[in-house]
Amino acid sequence: MKVSFFETVRYQAPGPLPSEWPVPSGVYDPEAGARAYRGMIERLELVEDLGFDWVSVSEHHYSPRILTPSPIVSAAFLAAHLKKIKIALLGPIVPQSNPVRVAEEIAMLDTMAQGRLVVGLLRGTSNESLTYDLNPAEARERTDEGMELVLKAWTEPQPFGWQGRHFRYRTISIWPRPLQQPHPPTYALGTSRESCDFAARHRLGCGVSYGSFESVGRATRYYREQCAHYGWQPSPEQVIYRANMLLADTDEEAQDALRKLPGQAPFSMRPGVRDAMMTLDSRNIAGEARAPIVSGALPTTFVGGPDTVVEQVRRCREVVGAGVLDLSLHPPGSSEIEPLMRALELFGKKVLPRIRDI
Amino acid sequence: MTESAFREGHVDADSFRIRYMEAGQGIPLVHLHGAGGLRLTPSHELLARRYRVIAFEMPGFGNSPVNTRTETMPEMASTIVRAIDKLGLDSFNLMGTSFGGKAALWVALQATQRVPALVLEAPAAIRQEGAAPPSGTAEEIARQLYAHPERLTSIPPIDPAMRAKTQPLVERLLGPRRDADLESRLQDLATPTLVLFGTLDRVIAPAMGRFYKDLMPSCHLVFVYDAAHAISTDRPEAFTEVVTDFLERHEAFVISRAETVIHP
Repeated sequence: MKVSFFETVRYQAPGPLPSEWPVPSGVYDPEAGARAYRGMIERLELVEDLGFDWVSVSEHHYSPRILTPSPIVSAAFLAAHLKKIKIALLGPIVPQSNPVRVAEEIAMLDTMAQGRLVVGLLRGTSNESLTYDLNPAEARERTDEGMELVLKAWTEPQPFGWQGRHFRYRTISIWPRPLQQPHPPTYALGTSRESCDFAARHRLGCGVSYGSFESVGRATRYYREQCAHYGWQPSPEQVIYRANMLLADTDEEAQDALRKLPGQAPFSMRPGVRDAMMTLDSRNIAGEARAPIVSGALPTTFVGGPDTVVEQVRRCREVVGAGVLDLSLHPPGSSEIEPLMRALELFGKKVLPRIRDI
Repeated sequence: MTESAFREGHVDADSFRIRYMEAGQGIPLVHLHGAGGLRLTPSHELLARRYRVIAFEMPGFGNSPVNTRTETMPEMASTIVRAIDKLGLDSFNLMGTSFGGKAALWVALQATQRVPALVLEAPAAIRQEGAAPPSGTAEEIARQLYAHPERLTSIPPIDPAMRAKTQPLVERLLGPRRDADLESRLQDLATPTLVLFGTLDRVIAPAMGRFYKDLMPSCHLVFVYDAAHAISTDRPEAFTEVVTDFLERHEAFVISRAETVIHP
């Protein structure tokens, strides 16, 4: 099992924060922000020393919860500060990006990082549609088309035009191309049938997140079936599972911490927006409809002391088939640094060495 | 779609009686069909709003007698040039689909000065290893030609018996998968050329597009997303927009004229 550390940048607000998304940017404290990014580098140097394989970053907007609105900027900053660890860009939200720009920036960063880049492409969470005025009903189609264009821009040797449904370019010819040829290890992120189909058709990896082993396992099983349909078999490393982990010295301590977690996401959309979003944003797991996550807290699937967590990782490998765990180790909903650092040390010493062979 | 604006006509050339369909006014646009024969698509109707579209049925296709006389694609091209002469067309834009793409390249080579611009829809002049024209039942052929046959309200008529009748002619005229004679001539064909491939083409690999770009001095390659081999049927609006823009502006079509002002 390979292990990735999901870096979210812990912003510690000097005062109380409003609970509504988008969070008013007027309450942002520039000094606290600067501390958060300094802390990120210190933490990731430890993550690298502990032997994690990847550090991952994601794209989220308009709140202090995950302070990386431009994951490519985060990834470039990390690539410059860290020497060995792979940088997993999981990933640009494709439907609200210029796909040619995405292809260019990733190629550029892969080259500057000497081929240490891993890439995930995705539609993004429901609230992100509001960030740049994306019509949620068009998000799926724009994602599929944008991902296909990114792949074409990386691999087509002649200047070409793109006559799409949502994107149109008359001439594309990117420089540089990625250092890793034909392109960095790339994943389509998401449990939807469309995402799994896309990954299978283009021989990409598949990344799932947060759901129970059984529910995301349905998606990864469907992905493998589709890969077989297209005549190939993904390696274990081509399946990523991102999840929350509550690790403590003992099971009791972890369960105790779990009980204290809030049931709501820290920053929620207004009810009228949330309800309208539920009707516009369709989501599925391998074709079976699921409700968009618009205000509930994300589940924590690994909970316990080291022994219990090792067993849970073993089960995850069996049920989900994941070869890469992308872990968020801080207590969900909290911005405290201390518990995160304790969990990180504990994971590095008591869990990581024991899950290598899983 | 409303009733077709196209009307049938015939012209004699090289002792062949050649059928064609014509609609629209303005600069002539001559179209040469694929190996399945002449079938009007929604794109013909859209193009006829801007151009005088003349879609020829090459001798041997459709209901015309079996053609055992035409030996090579250059021969077929010279018959078409004579038919174009008979219609009194001095200058004409030229468009070829798949098999007709190769025919169009030869017409452009034989009548270079008269062709301001050339459009090749999924041309079959350069083919990947193992490429073969669609075959099987009408349904099987449709699955090879169209990206989403299930979405089409009516699949353009595909007659496997007709394909069987023309197969020897198609094979004879298509020639080898790489045609050294043609390819060497293409290096001097300066006609502004637009090569289109659907991203889902299952007949000719879209990657073949790069060879034209590499060989021809003034070639533009455009991928039409979510279209298969029959681009003009799968995505007629997208197809017509880029073709029209190219015919109008040639290489300057790379300059966007899209307006992004939301409110003045």
